[in-house]
Amino acid sequence: MRPPANEGHPVLDPVLAAPFPQAAFTVLRNTQLRKNVAHATDVIQGKRNRLVAEKADWQELRSAASAVRTHVLENLGHYLEQFEERCTAAGGTVHWAKDAAEARAIILDILREEQASEVIKIKTMTSAEIQLNPAIEAAGIKAFETDLAEIILQLGDDEPSHIVVPALHVNRTQVREIFARKMNLPELSDDPKELTAAARTFLREKFLRVPTAISGANFLIAETGSVVIVESEGNGRMCLTLPRTMITLAGIEKVIPRFHDLEIMLQVLARSATGERMNPYSSLWTGVTPGDGPQRFHVVLLDNGRSDILARRGERQTLKCIRCGACQNTCPVYRQTGGHAYGSPYAGPIGAILTPQLMHLEHAQTLPYASSLCGACYEVCPVKINIPEVLIDLRAQVTDKERDEERRFFDPMYLGMRIANFIFASAGRFRLAQRMGRLGLRLFTRNDGWIHSLPSLGARWTMTRDLRGLPDETFREWWAARDRKGE
Amino acid sequence: MKMAPISRQAILDRIRKATGGGAPDVAGSYAGLHRDYVRAGKLGAEERIALMIERLREYDAEVVETAPDSLAEATQGQLAASGRRRFVAPAGLPAEWLAEGFEWQIDRGLSTAEIEQAEGVVTAAFCGIADSGTIVLHHSAAEGRRIISLLPDWHLCVLRASQVVETLPEYFARCSEAPVLATYISGPSATADIEMTRIKGVHGPRFLHVIVVRDDVTAR
Repeated sequence: MRPPANEGHPVLDPVLAAPFPQAAFTVLRNTQLRKNVAHATDVIQGKRNRLVAEKADWQELRSAASAVRTHVLENLGHYLEQFEERCTAAGGTVHWAKDAAEARAIILDILREEQASEVIKIKTMTSAEIQLNPAIEAAGIKAFETDLAEIILQLGDDEPSHIVVPALHVNRTQVREIFARKMNLPELSDDPKELTAAARTFLREKFLRVPTAISGANFLIAETGSVVIVESEGNGRMCLTLPRTMITLAGIEKVIPRFHDLEIMLQVLARSATGERMNPYSSLWTGVTPGDGPQRFHVVLLDNGRSDILARRGERQTLKCIRCGACQNTCPVYRQTGGHAYGSPYAGPIGAILTPQLMHLEHAQTLPYASSLCGACYEVCPVKINIPEVLIDLRAQVTDKERDEERRFFDPMYLGMRIANFIFASAGRFRLAQRMGRLGLRLFTRNDGWIHSLPSLGARWTMTRDLRGLPDETFREWWAARDRKGE
Repeated sequence: MKMAPISRQAILDRIRKATGGGAPDVAGSYAGLHRDYVRAGKLGAEERIALMIERLREYDAEVVETAPDSLAEATQGQLAASGRRRFVAPAGLPAEWLAEGFEWQIDRGLSTAEIEQAEGVVTAAFCGIADSGTIVLHHSAAEGRRIISLLPDWHLCVLRASQVVETLPEYFARCSEAPVLATYISGPSATADIEMTRIKGVHGPRFLHVIVVRDDVTAR
């Protein structure tokens, strides 16, 4: 069990995290963080939009990417078994983990077998999802993150707030402060170049020394049993080339059918994620290659709620996600709150649909409401996940579930809904309610015809917006009167 | 790990139940997927190579062109200009590329420490993709093990014009078989993790040099 979080330390465990509106409220007062997030998302979006615009076949690429991902999910069992067979034939070992606890146990077993005292890691959100680092540390093994952003977070005792650029909420001054303190470099300046060089030196020795590495995966290729990792810095290449043993943790949805499908995926991923025609480094490897790279290779296939999502027809599309983060950069909600308010390593629109489902709707039920349903996320999604559709679906499920809870019987919203249901069920009751409502609201309607403030529950509406007063006559009344006049 | 086989079956059962067993003809369903995106490029050979060079330069890679029979001089020139002396080379690199006057370590199973000592590396390539300025290594004998094009800070890559394609799908069309290992390099190692400021050279080679050999592009 993880110790209680420090004051101000972001909680990315959906079981423990505060509901979104509460967490967001705290963040909204942090102007520095909002500035950092706005700057970073503006820059990525600008680059992404430019590079997408130059691609005449962008929509065809999106459609093809979506079709391939949909096909994989429809035949997931087939492709996973094929991946397992080919990866095993190439010298890899494939493990299956039904949940986070099992995945942690499998990885810890491998680390013990390797007698590892240290491990180097390539950025993986899946590892954050199963809270791997605390488990590794609890077993007395030191985990070193090697992605620059992850290092900033690990040394700064912080948590990721974006899928692709996890430290986008931290600015150079803050990075300088963390590095100067933790790397013992008091003379360090806040020049990103110098900060990057400090990280290079700090990590170089670890790459050369630590014989065990853990990674995530961008794609698993069923046809060949290969794994693909897409990155920028080269820390990934270091981790998957130098160590003796490599452990790859991958969600079961990460598989694609054939090597040639990468011609779609690599094109849409790089443009969507970082606004590049191609990211600086992509690596593909297949099991174990004698004399080249790790000679022991494990893949841990993680379910952890994914097969449940697969079973729900409307929500299945959530699993098409290739983790590009484009929906986060474009989301008007994420751009205000940053990632931590979502209480999960998966923030933004994709997090709003993925996290509650991974939690079987037992936790994070406020996340489907963390959206204005503007549809910007759907528009940029390279695999065409209709996020607003899934959000609405999940809202319905959350409501259906809550309504039947006994303790919610006197919840004002559900009480109101039951009353509304009673009124709307009869024309007479509806007419009566209209008349009463008009009378009641007249008390609050000013001379300009607007209601500026309501008492009690109504105040939650008028706190941020005005409400038009009800007209003196309803349409039905007007219609009936018109008939009588014989017009 | 003892419980893993049980989970394997349980997970596969859940997946099969969720998908209703999947398509009866998976291969047929896969073959029927729409792929209406652009596969073939539309540039002529000269424009294609010019685009490759332009994109490489956008990534701050240093590019020189040479005729096939002056490759040795071009290599010599690049090595000399680097101000470096100790280079590592893959075992399958053509002997005439190993310019004289430098210290060469041929990788026949060099140790990590030995490779770490090298100041640079010279390799061949499998393919160049002009559209994204990408150099593809499949780690054949002339391209070398992954480690040698990773640890040294300076990478000189020799790319023949006939190896340059325009689009990513054209590269895939050239792969008659899927590679066992592949590295796709689009510019030197970089990060934008601090305030989206692009910084060149984090962990991979900080300097990428490319010699484009103007061979007959009609020959493959």
